[in-house]
Amino acid sequence: MKRNKIIEFFKDLALFLYALFALFPLVWLVIISFKHDRDMFTTTFIFNPTLENYKIIFSDGSFIGYFIDNLIVSSGAIALSVIVGVPAAYALARFNFKGRETIAFTFLSFRFAPEIFVVLPIFLIYQQIGLYDTYFGLIWVFQVLSLPLMIWILRGYFEDISVEMEHAARMDGYTWWQVFLKMIMPLIKPGLVASALLSLIFVWNNFTFSLLLAGQDVMTTTVAMVGYLSSDTVHYGQMAAAVLISALPIIILALAIQKHLVRGLSMGAVKG
Amino acid sequence: MADIRLENISKRFNNDIALNDVNIEVKDKEFFIIFGPAGAGKTTLLNVIAGIHMPNHGAVYLQDQYINHVEPEDRNIAMVFEDYALYPHLSVFDNIASPLRSPRYKKPEPEIKKEVERVAEILNIEWLLERSPDQLSNGQRQRVGLGRALVREPNVYLMDEPITHLDAKLRHQMRAELKEMQKSLDTTTIYVTHDYLEALSLGDRIAVINEGQIMQVGTPEEVYFFPENEFVAGSFGEPEINIFEGDIMTSEQVDFSPFFGQSAFGFLPKEKQQVLGNKGLQTIRIGLRPKDIHFQFEPVNSKEYIKGKVFSFEPLGAKAVLTVEINGKYIRITMKYNEDISINQDVYIKIDLNTAIYFDELGNNLLSQFSAKRRGMAWQN
Repeated sequence: MKRNKIIEFFKDLALFLYALFALFPLVWLVIISFKHDRDMFTTTFIFNPTLENYKIIFSDGSFIGYFIDNLIVSSGAIALSVIVGVPAAYALARFNFKGRETIAFTFLSFRFAPEIFVVLPIFLIYQQIGLYDTYFGLIWVFQVLSLPLMIWILRGYFEDISVEMEHAARMDGYTWWQVFLKMIMPLIKPGLVASALLSLIFVWNNFTFSLLLAGQDVMTTTVAMVGYLSSDTVHYGQMAAAVLISALPIIILALAIQKHLVRGLSMGAVKG
Repeated sequence: MADIRLENISKRFNNDIALNDVNIEVKDKEFFIIFGPAGAGKTTLLNVIAGIHMPNHGAVYLQDQYINHVEPEDRNIAMVFEDYALYPHLSVFDNIASPLRSPRYKKPEPEIKKEVERVAEILNIEWLLERSPDQLSNGQRQRVGLGRALVREPNVYLMDEPITHLDAKLRHQMRAELKEMQKSLDTTTIYVTHDYLEALSLGDRIAVINEGQIMQVGTPEEVYFFPENEFVAGSFGEPEINIFEGDIMTSEQVDFSPFFGQSAFGFLPKEKQQVLGNKGLQTIRIGLRPKDIHFQFEPVNSKEYIKGKVFSFEPLGAKAVLTVEINGKYIRITMKYNEDISINQDVYIKIDLNTAIYFDELGNNLLSQFSAKRRGMAWQN
């Protein structure tokens, strides 16, 4: 009994230490975003907090623009992935056609190549066909990040739904589309939410593609952050404030649907 | 309220032939059984009728209307699936109510509630209506699946082994209830099973199917007492029918000596002698049900009795199955329970051809109308 308590204590301690380790960068970020540039290296925890950094960020209005750009590009990419990925995953799970596994593997292999490895040819192609520095160009290239994830997670969900259930619904008097919307969609929802959110995080945080395939008309927050590194000085305070704000939507989303995220990625839809 | 006709239905999955030239006519209000071993094509046949699978060849008629291209949701056919096929995200109530809420068969909500409760009461699941399917036992799930079909008033009920997953007692009870239900519903029912007792007790008519081909269609009496071939004979009855091979010596005497490895003879009954004699056969295969074999343990001095050894003895309550070994062949006999039987004891059996079923070398029944008809057709060609 007593032994158990000691073990419990050490478990809690270990978890606490890990939480400290994991959360410290975030805490540090919050702290320096409220510091003056002059306090940056002179104080650690005790200083006069200021909103100066946030004021500077929002004063010229351009940061809001970057934020909106990021929002358009990311949600556009996810929306397109859902529209393309759900039918693709369904087809890969249900229909037995020649080259099915090859196609499925090809989708997955999109994620094998490092971004920096493919960005140069894409850059050249985009220059030629006029997709460079456009919303659609970025949305299109972000498919490479989100679509494979979506397809592979949803394929597992579709495979878990018995074909007989679809047939039963047809016999009950629903057309194929009604079966899909009423019977199948609710069952894949956890997987859809989880994979969409996970891809959203990947896309939102992407730097390489955003930097090299856009940068004038379309600029995402990750790229805009570099702007705070000027040649003579680094505005850590403004940078921290910008990072914090651009990370905020992801943090809020992740916390809000944390339950779905864990369940959606670790479990099939139909058990027993 | 409908009759169904299948004409020359063939279905292939890649290169596997699931159904091969199937012709069936199901009459209005009939309880029609499709019976066969696993993998015979029973479920495929049902799916073709349901419209889930499109046949590669042949035509499906519902009330004399060609329905090959009619979508499943437009056929007004209710189906019970072997693996339940319940909607896991809906409660039992919503599962059963689902056909009545569909755009095709929509009914007002108060009526749905009444109907679902009525069906739930018949199936004894009214206390489960709020649960979700994953909180049910397999037997309960099967009843929910049945309920989903029974709330409707379809042209035809299709049932794919609807009571196989129930425990023995409940299965027996459901069997009786299904028969009763079908009578009161007065609707054509096509029922798939691999259990010969279910087939014999429920069916108005039975279609025996093997490897995608219809072996025989007939009433329970016909398939049991007048099987078309050895496959049908072997499918009905537990233990399985015994088959012996013999040579026709004279018009009345059959010699089983090569089969049993000792002198053994059977005598054809008078009324069969002429019919069989006309066929000019040399060898004949004899089917004898386990209950029709005469046996005794005391030695007898008769050339009709064949000596064997007790191979095994399985008591089944009041009844028992005795397996006798003769010349490496095993003969199954049902008998009353008797505790004095020991393994390897001598036993003498007699082949009584009065109760036998006669097959030719290919296993077709020599005396059935079906093979007689087919023979006639072949002769005409």
